[in-house]
Amino acid sequence: MPSLPDSLKRWMRLAFLSVAVALPATAPALAQTAYEAQLPAALDTAAALCEHVPCAEVVPGATHFSERKGQPRYVEAYVERNGHRELAGYVVLSTDVTDTPAYSGKPVVTLIGLDTRGRFIGVRILKHSEPILLLGIPEAALTAFNRQYLGKFIGDNIEIGHSRPDENIIGLDAISGATVTVIAQNQVMMAAGAAVGRQVGLLEATVRPPAQFLDPGRPLDWATMVSEGLVRRLAVRPEQVGLARAAEPFIELWFGDLNHPAIGRAVLGGDGWAALRQRLGEHDHALFILRTAGRESFKGSGFVRGGLYDRVQVRQGQDAFTFRDLDYLNLYGVRAAGAPAFSESGIFIVRSPAFSAAWPWKLVFLGNRVDRETGARTFANFDAEYWLPDDYLAGGRPAVVQPDAPWVRIWKTRAPQIALFSLLLVTTALVYASRDRLTRRASRKNPWPVNAFKYAAWITSIGFVGFGLLAQPSITQVLTWFHALLFQWTWSLFLSDPFIFLFWIFIIVTVFLWGRGLFCGWLCPFGSLSELIYKVAGAVGLKRIQFSLPKALHDRLKWVKYGVFLGLLAVSMFSMTLAEQLAEIEPFKTTFLVGLFNRSWPYTLFAAGLLGLSIFIERPFCKYLCPLGAALAMPSTFRWFGLRRKQECDRCKACGTGCGSLAIDADGRIDQRECLLCLDCMVMYTDDHACPPLVSERKRRTRAGVEMTPIGTDGYFIPIRPVPPDTPPAN
Amino acid sequence: MVDPRMMTEPVTPDWTRQPSPARWLAGELRDHLWPWSRQGMQRRGASRLVQLFGFAFAVIVSACWVLAVRGELGPHGVIAWWTGWSAFEVALRLQAKPYVKEGPWWERRYRRASPMDMVCYVGFKNLLLGAALFFALKSQGFLGAA
Ligand code: SF4
Ligand code: SF4
Repeated sequence: MPSLPDSLKRWMRLAFLSVAVALPATAPALAQTAYEAQLPAALDTAAALCEHVPCAEVVPGATHFSERKGQPRYVEAYVERNGHRELAGYVVLSTDVTDTPAYSGKPVVTLIGLDTRGRFIGVRILKHSEPILLLGIPEAALTAFNRQYLGKFIGDNIEIGHSRPDENIIGLDAISGATVTVIAQNQVMMAAGAAVGRQVGLLEATVRPPAQFLDPGRPLDWATMVSEGLVRRLAVRPEQVGLARAAEPFIELWFGDLNHPAIGRAVLGGDGWAALRQRLGEHDHALFILRTAGRESFKGSGFVRGGLYDRVQVRQGQDAFTFRDLDYLNLYGVRAAGAPAFSESGIFIVRSPAFSAAWPWKLVFLGNRVDRETGARTFANFDAEYWLPDDYLAGGRPAVVQPDAPWVRIWKTRAPQIALFSLLLVTTALVYASRDRLTRRASRKNPWPVNAFKYAAWITSIGFVGFGLLAQPSITQVLTWFHALLFQWTWSLFLSDPFIFLFWIFIIVTVFLWGRGLFCGWLCPFGSLSELIYKVAGAVGLKRIQFSLPKALHDRLKWVKYGVFLGLLAVSMFSMTLAEQLAEIEPFKTTFLVGLFNRSWPYTLFAAGLLGLSIFIERPFCKYLCPLGAALAMPSTFRWFGLRRKQECDRCKACGTGCGSLAIDADGRIDQRECLLCLDCMVMYTDDHACPPLVSERKRRTRAGVEMTPIGTDGYFIPIRPVPPDTPPAN
Repeated sequence: MVDPRMMTEPVTPDWTRQPSPARWLAGELRDHLWPWSRQGMQRRGASRLVQLFGFAFAVIVSACWVLAVRGELGPHGVIAWWTGWSAFEVALRLQAKPYVKEGPWWERRYRRASPMDMVCYVGFKNLLLGAALFFALKSQGFLGAA
């Protein structure tokens, strides 16, 4: 490599180190407001919600707000006109309706405003924990996403993606790179709107045909009812509500249908059931609940104050059914033989034609989860499904079409891109697996048989994978996986980003087969961009000012990236949030996900600085800072198939001098943790015009007029063995 | 003469000379789970005190897992001890079994371990072991609360 004046080199080194060290250090200080914002302690419990959150922002013009009411809870907003209060709309806090988690596993806490006609008129994010929307542009992106709801009706079919007018579906634009977050947000918005809409009469409840029961006519004992699913159990463990783990459940409930004659008679006895039937209207449906463990009351104390039972509710599809004092009857005993002892019991009546026992329904226990670190309470609900078995329904269970899980929908909507991306991964792996053939076809003078594939992979990974699919793997995923491995593995979380999921399968497989080089050297969007810049700069005449650090300095600095990785891993054990902020040392988000010019200047400067530095040094970030590269380098120690070397490599410096990754030491040994599998040295290995031992053997044979044999896998010309004269000629 | 085909020079631990594949496999398993070796320690002159400390540490870490099973130690406590043990195991193996595998895992090629090789080996092995133990404990309902 051409040498530069020492002073210039020193200056560049200094600039490199300052950029590398100073900018990431400034990054985490720039947190934005809604990310992990501190919510008011009384947010979940206060009756006067709007004293704690800016309700007037989501119902513009409203001056007065009611206390929370209903189940799920909402607030009425009023304007003052001519001295009179007029209803102007409704406010609902998303976590009062659903705790649907977004990508981070935590809900995006949103305040939603509706007008009296059921249209969204205001949305405000109070808090989110989305790492993907951590800093810079993020809130603006989410706010812009939410603005798309304004003016839309709560009963509209709103989905992420294209509008499909023929199917009555209104499409919303997603936030690039945060698909999971916006899919979760859409569920939250629609559930919150529907929850208020149904209670205030803006949405009509679904009407389901009543169940036609089949009575098997035999008496049922408790064990039979349990085994046949006629009574179900709903248990909440203490740790699910933030208490210390204990053997006894926080609450254990058993519940079942009472309209069905077989169950009704088994629980209440013939007379008791007949008496109950007398009290039920045409659309009334009774169910019983027993508490068999725990001290928490399922009736709660709310009904004493407002006549509403606020601990239990029934949900069927989108409909929620709550109970008032008139919907409750005492249950003094259970007749069925073998019934468990219980400490609380009751009969609740659903009074709505929307409910039908023929369809599955859920009993929901509405609780609070206490964060053990902060003491903050958040809304949490626990449910258990109930569906009468086929044998107990005339005609059996009706067909129920369950909507696809969010991750399935993502895979379906992005199927063409997923197919293309998979093709790219498989092709790259196949090309690399055929490296022996390609490197033999190439030579130092004409490296195109290898480079054509490599450059094509770079360009595709930068354009299609990086900027197009935003599928840049990141150390935050390694940290998340690490935690998931130790704490809780949630497949749906990982499946929700198909490209990253497939990329990681590719990475894991290829790291064990060949080392991290196939990903880092061929397919990492940022790594490819960095090296492409270096190559283009060299090709347009800047080769003179390109340099690499002296090997001794490189051998020291290369450890920095391992320090960064292990540091992040250690921090993640205490605070994943902090680790995610520190992971901004990766310029990936700035480069691909958010865009260089969409972030605050320190990020832009850092990413641009690293890319700018790539004009002079080959892959400076990969060599010295990348925590992901380090995380992949560590298992690369145990890759199965390494590159080839011959004994003479210990003295020859030809490959070592040409290795852009500085992965070849003075003894010709390749450090598999640093090697990026560029294959330059493998081209040399079989090039009889470049590899010194081959060159001298070629020359010797030419001089001696001996035939040139092919080069074997050991890197030498296949030896010519003279056939002994007395050997009979081959036929 | 240096062999440029490997990152460090090849070694052949005694136990790998087993002709029977089943015995060799058993030896592999033992090698991953048991970081001590008499010859290695003697060759490197490790003091009795260090050996004693190592055994005591191993007992304490095993006790931590038992406490976790009994619900008396949370996941972060176990991770802290497991990480501490891993750091110690790196130092211990560099003394007692200073080699790592080279190439396909089903082959019998080994090479001298540099400190970084050993960090990678122990880190990776103990991550898998830890994850397996965590998974087993979790599936039995332990280590619930973070
Ligand atoms: S070292 Fe990092 S940036 Fe470079 S190629 Fe690997 S993962 Fe990508
Ligand atoms: S020249 Fe050889 S050792 Fe260096 S990065 Fe390329 S493939 Fe790896």
